[in-house]
Amino acid sequence: MIRKIKASISEKIIFIFIILLATFFFGSYFLIKDKCLFVKNHDPKKIEFNNPENIAVLNVPCGNVIIELYPHVSPNGVKRFITLIESKAYDDIAFHRVIKNALVQAGDLEFGKKGNIDYGKIGTGKSGLGTLKSELDAPFNFDKGSVALARTQKYNTEDSQFFIILRDEPLYETEYTPIGKVIFGLDALEKIKYLDKSQYVLRPDYINSIRMLIN
Amino acid sequence: MNLIRLILLSLFIFIQVQADTIYNLIKIPNLEIYDIKTPNKLRYLYAKQPFTIGVDNNINCYNSEKNILDVKYEIIKKNLDRYNQKFLKKINLKYIVLCEDLSISKINTAGIPDNIMKTLILDIKFNEKYFERVIHHEVFHIIKDSYKEIFDENIWSNFNVKNFKYAECSTCTDKLGLDTYSNTDGFFTEYSQSTASEDMAEVFSHLMIESDLNNNDPILNKKMQFIKTNLLKIDNSFIL
Repeated sequence: MIRKIKASISEKIIFIFIILLATFFFGSYFLIKDKCLFVKNHDPKKIEFNNPENIAVLNVPCGNVIIELYPHVSPNGVKRFITLIESKAYDDIAFHRVIKNALVQAGDLEFGKKGNIDYGKIGTGKSGLGTLKSELDAPFNFDKGSVALARTQKYNTEDSQFFIILRDEPLYETEYTPIGKVIFGLDALEKIKYLDKSQYVLRPDYINSIRMLIN
Repeated sequence: MNLIRLILLSLFIFIQVQADTIYNLIKIPNLEIYDIKTPNKLRYLYAKQPFTIGVDNNINCYNSEKNILDVKYEIIKKNLDRYNQKFLKKINLKYIVLCEDLSISKINTAGIPDNIMKTLILDIKFNEKYFERVIHHEVFHIIKDSYKEIFDENIWSNFNVKNFKYAECSTCTDKLGLDTYSNTDGFFTEYSQSTASEDMAEVFSHLMIESDLNNNDPILNKKMQFIKTNLLKIDNSFIL
């Protein structure tokens, strides 16, 4: 004969506690794993812009980053950036250089393409359109969210690579060619993958797309 | 011992890559911004800790006390404000590094100019008697390095008397005195006689400190005219 053993109250409490603990553990695991969870995605169609013709929408893993371009500050730099946007050259290009809370850099069209990334040469690639003259004369406040063209140690070597700063960098004025500023979605850039011990990222995040708001 | 190794290892593991903006720009570590809101856009940086740079780490400089830095900064800025932004851009000078006990290969020096990195390192504790003049002397090295073809050393050397010869380098001689001669005889100072480049820098710095130098020395007059004429080739609005 099988006797039924009834669980005591304390055993029931322990059982409920274990269930709750397991729920909390697995719930937290999935919440923490989703790095974009608390990032607000900005829909450019719902925003009114003063200069919609100068708005570029950069789509990254955690959503949209809305950039206002400044053709009056760096006409040639902005023209190059728009040319590459319109040819969709930046799509699937890696954020190959990322420094936590400092900057994200992308735009190596030659060695940074998804599926064809070359870790040995990334950061040195060219667009095939030639280099640009640095545009450094106009006053520009390099505060958080500023977008500028990257270059080598020498001036007048700007091409397709660009960076966005995640903190104020006043010393960058007259050093780098500014092309615009992030006006919405900077928090999506703060979630771009970085490494603790290297500026260059192994298995990096990619640009999904960049499009001009008005084609 | 193992504990120390463990601590060092854990430090290595937890140290994150830092974005040292100043180092990335001018390749000098341990610097911080002193003042960048200047009328001619010169950026003044100071050593927050000693730094070592150069070939075989042969250039050393040390951090200063803030009160000394504050006093010397005013003197340096007053002198460097005489160069406008347009001129500084032409000669490729943008960053002024302030530190003390500057030395190169263990020889103390007032300044180290580097027009490629757009940087002038200044020893703020250099002899006060010559301090202001030395600032312009070092600026001239930047000017000359950016316009070597204008400041031709052969033309310059021909201003001197026939049998005079400069030393091979500025540190290859004992002629290091910076007192201005009362009887010049072709040179403002003993240091002028070290190399053509130092001679030019001495003439320039004397012109900057005392622009209406009225000298009866025909050699020095030719040298002063050479400097003045060539500065106007770089910037026709340059005022001594």
